[in-house]
Amino acid sequence: MNLVLRELYANKKSLLIWGASMAAFVAMMFVEFAAYYKNPEMLAVIDAMPRELLAAFGMLDANLTTVSGYLSMSMVFINVALSVYAAMLGHNLVAKEERDKTAGFLMTLPITRASVLTGKLIAGLLCSAILLGIVAGSMLGMLLPYEAEANFLAFFTLLLITTFIIMVLFLSIGMFLGAALRRHKLSAGLGMGLVFALYIASIVSGLTARLEFLRYVSPFEYFEAAQLLRDLRMEPIFLLLSLVVVVGSVSGAYFYYSRRDLYV
Amino acid sequence: MNAIELKHLTKYYGKVRGIENLSFDVREGEIFGFIGPNGAGKTTTIRTLLGLVFPTSGSASIFGLDCIKHGTEIRKHVGYLPSEVFYYDQMKVIDLLKYSASFFKKDCTERIHELAEAMELSLERKIEDLSYGNKKKVGIVQGLLHGPKLLLLDEPTSGLDPLMQKRFFDIVAQENKQGVTVFFSSHILSEVQQLCHRVAVMKNGNVIRLESIDTLRQENYKKVALRSYGLTAETLGLSNVTNFHHENGTTRFFYKGSAQSLIQAVAKHDLTDVVIEDPSLEEIFMHYYEQGPA
Amino acid sequence: MTILVFELRRYMGSLMGWIASIVALLVMFMAFYPVLAQDAAMLDLFLEHYPEELLKAFGMGGELSLATVAGFFAFSFAFTQLVVGAQSAYYGFHFMSVEEREMTADFLYAKPVSRPQILLAKYGAAGSALLITNVGVWLGSFLAIDLFRGDATYELWPVVSLLLTVPVFQLFFFSLGFVVTAVSKKTVSVIGAAVGVSFVLYMLNALRRIVGGELLGLVSPYYHFDPNYILLTGAWHPLHTAISVSFIIVANFTAVRLYLRRDLRSAT
Repeated sequence: MNLVLRELYANKKSLLIWGASMAAFVAMMFVEFAAYYKNPEMLAVIDAMPRELLAAFGMLDANLTTVSGYLSMSMVFINVALSVYAAMLGHNLVAKEERDKTAGFLMTLPITRASVLTGKLIAGLLCSAILLGIVAGSMLGMLLPYEAEANFLAFFTLLLITTFIIMVLFLSIGMFLGAALRRHKLSAGLGMGLVFALYIASIVSGLTARLEFLRYVSPFEYFEAAQLLRDLRMEPIFLLLSLVVVVGSVSGAYFYYSRRDLYV
Repeated sequence: MNAIELKHLTKYYGKVRGIENLSFDVREGEIFGFIGPNGAGKTTTIRTLLGLVFPTSGSASIFGLDCIKHGTEIRKHVGYLPSEVFYYDQMKVIDLLKYSASFFKKDCTERIHELAEAMELSLERKIEDLSYGNKKKVGIVQGLLHGPKLLLLDEPTSGLDPLMQKRFFDIVAQENKQGVTVFFSSHILSEVQQLCHRVAVMKNGNVIRLESIDTLRQENYKKVALRSYGLTAETLGLSNVTNFHHENGTTRFFYKGSAQSLIQAVAKHDLTDVVIEDPSLEEIFMHYYEQGPA
Repeated sequence: MTILVFELRRYMGSLMGWIASIVALLVMFMAFYPVLAQDAAMLDLFLEHYPEELLKAFGMGGELSLATVAGFFAFSFAFTQLVVGAQSAYYGFHFMSVEEREMTADFLYAKPVSRPQILLAKYGAAGSALLITNVGVWLGSFLAIDLFRGDATYELWPVVSLLLTVPVFQLFFFSLGFVVTAVSKKTVSVIGAAVGVSFVLYMLNALRRIVGGELLGLVSPYYHFDPNYILLTGAWHPLHTAISVSFIIVANFTAVRLYLRRDLRSAT
């Protein structure tokens, strides 16, 4: 418990900076919405485009003139940013004891390594939730002046849930990399590279039918916002996939962390 | 000439005091000790001399050249050993030493091997795999390999085993015989006592005392231990006695005053044993420390 | 000089990785060109029916058709810029601050070298790494285009014009990383910050392309050196380029001044 509090305190500065940046980012995004709100001309253009192109930009069935539609279009950017945060957070939570040479202190206390990792995991989840909360708050704040559709609340909730799932996914992968690999410079770079590669994969997956399989590889495609809006539910296969990855990564993290030689 | 001259050197890190108004000289060819507790400002002084941090006010010069303006020139002739030694990832000892040597326009290979052998440092290992003490040895060789005229040593023996400490001191003493000035910060008083000609005592960013080692001892106390029955501070009949206490049947105290009065007072009692000696620098220093600035 | 060689060697390892990724990205994207060219041609037929302004507002009309080599290359080049941006930002964040993060400042700065000399050497090494990357981008681009263009032709000059923006693009991110480390007292998580910065600026522009307007693009070099604009017009946008260049100058000037008088952190 005290470990969780300690970690929260240690990460508060980074969380605040990210929170402020994301809030600013959200604000910038929704400032432009005013031009689209209930604008019928835009609608006509979207209807004419071929599906592949819309898919590549995640704009399938997205109606930019509605609140939900605009939101669905912008979600992919928010997801990527939050994933970068989560991956970095997960990795650093694990790596920092060796990086800052505090492992000699923490690991010689009467606690198991597993409990240390659990504390860090909880702290990671909390920080991610807080950041998501800040983002959600900013979004709602920016959208206040506009009239939302009937299903907005359901859609918004779904968005938050799925975004959180993606964050947890990257958090756990980050923790796994930090625990499993000896050199932290390498694992940090790998984590970042992974976020990046998966983002590109999500773009590419919509380009041609041959690459549709990438939908199962890139978390950014698991809960495609436009699809969520249309169906108002998550596809179970992707929920399962996420669960598998999270459980696998977290177990892997516990496994490697318990056996790791700590170089301090 | 003076190897080092400090004139009202002051360094504040924001509002936090580093060092304040330091003014003293270090003569060429002497071994100068710089003692004080943690946080006194010893490391700050050395880092300012090297130009790693910039003074808030005042100035410092080495061999007559201003430390900030002519830093590059000065550092050709200065060897520095930081208290904690860090080097680049994945480097082998010999690679680091060669890289270090490449900054000086002379061939240091022979000297590197000489020093490494004396300190029993294996050259082919990766630095990050070495123990703290062995890393320290790398620092020592790295600081000496270019034949500097001034050595700035920051807690040089922390981490070294006693044999290596002795080897290190032998090397330093040898260099000093050849005219190298040594400026050496420490809070291990026994090593300062062993090597230095003069000592400055730092506390809270100020120099509270600067003396030659001999003067420090002479001016100070004699440490007396007696075995006698029924001896108390009053029955002793001596003034300027401090720290009077009994320990395992032995009476101990510090005395500052004439040797004649001491002997006469002590002789009045029925003694079975007596030891009169100079206090160690540690004991002097601790005493100063408790009393505050002189 | 020794510092420069030493530093350059330390870049070499990862440099190959970066360049390989960039070239792979370029080639991989262009590999889709033959397939997509046909779909895109159909799209063009649709778009012909709609007025320019509408399409522009949608971020689509002002661009080159994806059916053309240039158009498709422009589309894929944005992702290359993403990687190049991250790499350059990483070098910028890293090249000076490494001595303080690794605590080796006490070693290097106690040597008989002045701070300007150290700065110059490190600049040289980082710059060389960036330059080599640049060459990789050029070669990779032409390789990718020639491998997959089939019979289609393209104008050479606009592509060259675009490739010429890469050094300035790199410098923008490099300077950003540099000035941030110069200003901060504490150490930053370098790789995270670099990727974050690159992504954020990328997304600002990506969003701008969808919703239109200038605001989102003003701070983003992805907008200043928008592949579409440059491939379409064959020229750089004067105002946008000026913004990037001014930033580069101001950032470097500030950072250098700060580093010359910086109190270096040590272990103790």
